Amino acid sequence: MNIDAISMRMLSNIGVGVALADPESLTIGYRNPAFAAWFGVEDGAPLDQALGSVTRTELHEKLAVEEAIRLDVAVKRKRRLLTIETVIRHAESDGRKILLVECQNISRLRETEAMIDSYARIAEKKARELELEKNRVEKLLLNVMPRSVYEEYTAFGTVTPKLYEPVSVLMLDFVGFTQMAAAADPTVTVTELNDIFTAFDRIAEMHGCERIKTIGDAYLAVAGLPTPNPDHAGAVAQCASKMIRYLERRNESHPHKWQARIGIASGSVVGSVVGVQKYVYDVFGPAVNLASRLQSLSNPMEVTATSEFGEDGLEGLVPVDAGTVDIRGFGSTSIVKLQARGLVDLAA
Amino acid sequence: MSGKTQTLYEKYGGFPGVRQVVTDFYERALDSDIVGHFFEDVNMARLVDHQTKMIAGLLGGPVEISDARLATAHAHLEVDHYHFDEIAILLNETLADAGFDKQDRLAAVAAVEARRSVIIKRSRAA
Repeated sequence: MNIDAISMRMLSNIGVGVALADPESLTIGYRNPAFAAWFGVEDGAPLDQALGSVTRTELHEKLAVEEAIRLDVAVKRKRRLLTIETVIRHAESDGRKILLVECQNISRLRETEAMIDSYARIAEKKARELELEKNRVEKLLLNVMPRSVYEEYTAFGTVTPKLYEPVSVLMLDFVGFTQMAAAADPTVTVTELNDIFTAFDRIAEMHGCERIKTIGDAYLAVAGLPTPNPDHAGAVAQCASKMIRYLERRNESHPHKWQARIGIASGSVVGSVVGVQKYVYDVFGPAVNLASRLQSLSNPMEVTATSEFGEDGLEGLVPVDAGTVDIRGFGSTSIVKLQARGLVDLAA
Repeated sequence: MSGKTQTLYEKYGGFPGVRQVVTDFYERALDSDIVGHFFEDVNMARLVDHQTKMIAGLLGGPVEISDARLATAHAHLEVDHYHFDEIAILLNETLADAGFDKQDRLAAVAAVEARRSVIIKRSRAA
């Protein structure tokens, strides 16, 4: 078998469609079986008849300026619409100019691309849903723990209990809330409480305090945790004063009159995530207990603190001596009532 | 997370595993004398997209095609029980050739079966 015969046999058996055409007349001089099977043309047929999507004039124009042209030709075979990638280039054989037409069936490639596109869209949609879910969970968790604690929790799956010292704790409780909740429409009461706590959260945030939790109508916030704050006492004092002022303003224009009692105290607390299934960030320690007891010593719309408060001077607030009381677990303690400076001047 | 059972989608290699199933199923559906005509003039990219989602969804992958969407997609077609049975058979054959256990094939076909009334509801059988 000579080399030409080998070449011819190879051309007949390969999966690539090959045809040779005359550059002037654009008639097919040779086509291998694969080409014939895809385009159904005989030797001597015009090339544009095989390719369908392009006219003879267009072929002439393109081939006049380009060395090779590439076309995707759609061919229907049975129910399938095949995509045949076709490259037509100028060539020479025995000094004679010819056009070499090479075709490949890229239908499977296109199907795979479509499948990957489809999957990519699925994956993107899933990623968006996951992101939304993550944000929702993050928002929920940030509601029950400080951001730095949340970050520790998401990074390590656990939170190490930490001693924070010194910090200041604010404990707020409403006077007569139980009666109000029982007497009024509970939905209205809860909506109002929610509004007020939302406002308190903003006040706390403004003064660098961290709301730890609400228990029913009680509100607990801390300054100096998780990030130390040298002016933790001033922060909770200002926070407490603003909360009282907010309630006073609110009461002027609302039918429900809310009366809060606040206790603030400084000391140490331990902060940790408590629980496994229903976890919550909480703080424990002497400062929390003291703030709670001082709160119960407050009159409505009053802020009660230990006498250390105000020693360094609190902007806009005046500590008014309220004597010494025996506080369970803390012994004899001198306490003060923090009042807005304007009120004290008026009283004087 | 740890308590979650593995889906067939995960068991058979996620998307790379499903890819072969989709390609094979596409070929069989087009070749079928019973259902092939449904796919005859459908845009290839759309058909592949539909089959990718359908098969990934059937195997518990990250896709959920709602019954409402399935019903809409098939509303204009005259799908009857005979066609539906053929699709179930083709899917079973495709999964068998892809190496799915009998139990898993049954689960996938049962998932198709569960949609029978949705797909046939608005057509000839209605």
